[in-house]
Parts: sequence; structure tokens; C-alpha cells
Amino acid sequence: MNVEVSDADLAQRIAAGDTDAEAEVCRRMGPRIRLYGLRHLRSAATADDLVQQVLLKVIEALRAGRLREADKLAPFVLGTCRMTVLDLRRSARRQEQLLAEFGADLVPEPPPVPRLDGDQLARCVQALKERERTVVVLTFYDEQSAAEAAGFLGISEANVRVIRHRAVQQLRACMGAAA
Amino acid sequence: MTAPARADCSNPIEPAVLVDYWLALLPPPEEEAVEEHLLTCDRCGDRLRDTIALAEGLRALARSGSLVVVISDRFVQRAREAGQRVRQYAPPRGGSIQCTVAADDDLLVADLAADLGRAARVDLSWCDRSGVERQRMTDIPVGAGTDRVICQQSITFAKASSSDTMIARLLAVDATGVERLIGEYTFNHTRTIPG
Repeated sequence: MNVEVSDADLAQRIAAGDTDAEAEVCRRMGPRIRLYGLRHLRSAATADDLVQQVLLKVIEALRAGRLREADKLAPFVLGTCRMTVLDLRRSARRQEQLLAEFGADLVPEPPPVPRLDGDQLARCVQALKERERTVVVLTFYDEQSAAEAAGFLGISEANVRVIRHRAVQQLRACMGAAA
Repeated sequence: MTAPARADCSNPIEPAVLVDYWLALLPPPEEEAVEEHLLTCDRCGDRLRDTIALAEGLRALARSGSLVVVISDRFVQRAREAGQRVRQYAPPRGGSIQCTVAADDDLLVADLAADLGRAARVDLSWCDRSGVERQRMTDIPVGAGTDRVICQQSITFAKASSSDTMIARLLAVDATGVERLIGEYTFNHTRTIPG
């Protein structure tokens, strides 16, 4: 099954009982759901749990033909992600129950998050201008908003954002050049 | 069944937006649009993974204490609240202080009181015991309305250093490059870590 198969085709085939299409939906959507989980749950393990739970709910819905517009698979998955994250936050117990009930069979291997050369990154950060380095450290230490750095530096949050983006751009170039 | 090639993206998410997305800094409508795109685009998903790797690397680096960087008082406070062991030295202006670093310290911080006044640009110069400059931090960020500069020194370097003296000089630099000494601070480091 290749990238030419549309989400709508997959949804219709799953409703007709095609298990290959189910596997393709898991392969296609699993890594995307995991990214959503990483962003909102900040934990690789909990993001993996989210993948399991969302895929199970989605596949069940598709099997039952509950997706009324077949071309709306991605928005349906996103909506399920949002609801499931809310559930996860509300109740850790519910998460454990779902996992105990279903298992890991449907979960595809996620693409790995690339690893960086830490020593090279340190050299790149140390090569930034002082103001940029300060903004990077204040921002990424514990993911503070721009407000603290803005207050400290006596500049606007918009300016902090510009400095941060410029610094990240330079770091990408520096890391790319080193690769 | 082989994995298909990544489809091209005709409307890739800006790198800056991906960083803001990861840092949860986007307004809700923009965040929603990004998530809708990511649920249909593996190319941008790959780019978000690169962004996450960079962000995680920077977080680890920021927490490692190995950078030489000007930081805020609030940053030091947060590090303490997070359970990091912070060794902070505040020598008097024009004076000296005895200092060391232990094996289980996480951050090493110099706290330099100074009248920063109306200096357009402030440099922080690190010199050896004979006054020869070894490192200059040019145009350091100076906190609004503050009367001190807090500079993190590399804990990694300090732990490996033998006993030595370092002199920090805060310099006001005008538009023509003329320097004026704001304050000088001497750190007499004694190595206490065996080896």
C-alpha cells in the first residue's frame, strides 16, 4: 500500500472490513499522533500511550462506519487526540484501564527523534552573541515564555521572539555545517 | 509492505512557527492550524522531530551548567527550586573572594554588584591573575534597572581546574570604543575535588 491511497479510501475500506487498510492507517497516523502527544504530554512513554488509545478509538469508529465523511479522517484523528489528551490529564486510572484492555499490537514503531552531537551544540551555542545565548538559555531551560526574558532584558516579548528565532536559525546552520 | 516515500509538502510550516509550537507559545487558532497540517504532512512531522531534537539538546545544555552565559536572578531561583545545587559567589566590587566547587555542584554563578548606570554597552572581561584577558563577553545583556550582573561560569571547566585566580572586569564601552572600568572582582579558586 503506498502514499497514493487516500485517507478517504482507507476509511471506506476499513468500514468494509479490510485489515490491510487498518494497518496502513496505524502506520500513517501513529507517528503523527505521537508528535501531538510529545507536544502536549511532554513524555515519550505517555505519547506512546496516546498513540495506542487514539488508534484504537479511530479503528473502532472506522470499523463501525461512524466516520460520516470519509475524507475527514485527519480532522477526526486530531479531534480524538484532543479528547484523549484531556482524558489522560483527567484520569491516569482510565489510561491504565485502556492499556490493560488493549495492549500494544496496533502501535507502529515511531520514527526516532534525531540525536544531536551535544559537544557541537555547546560550541554552537557558545558562538552566539551574548544576548542570544541568554535568551536561548532562559527559554529552553524550562520552556519559559518570552515574558521572563523580556522582563529581564528590558525589551518587548516580540523582540525576545525575534532574538530567539535568529539564534535558533544560527544554531540550525551551525549544526548543519558541522554534520 | 514497504514504507512509502514521504510526499512533498507544498506549504511547509515555518521553522520559527515549529519552535513556537513546541514551546507552546502559539495562540490557539495558530496552534490548531499547525496541528491540522501535522496530521496530514509527514515532511513537516520530520521537521518537527528535528526541532524537538534541537529543543531537547538546548534544554539539556542549559541545565548542564557548562555554558558561560549571563543569566537572570529568577533563573538561579528556578534552578534551586528544581533541585539543582547552585554555588554562587558575590565578591565585593574591587575586592576578592575565596571560592571552590564541589563534585556534586550543578551550577557555578558569579554575582557582580555594579553601578551599571547609563552604560550603552557593557562587556565582561575574564582575566588571569596577571590581568591578561582570557575571554571577553561582548555587549552582555544587562537587566533593566538592575545593579548587578549574574554570570554562569562553566561548572565542567571549574571542576577540572586547578587552584587559580581569575579576575572579572565589567567595562562600559562607548560608541567610539573607549572603555571605562565599572568594577573589578577577584576569584581565588581553590581546588577541593580530589584528582
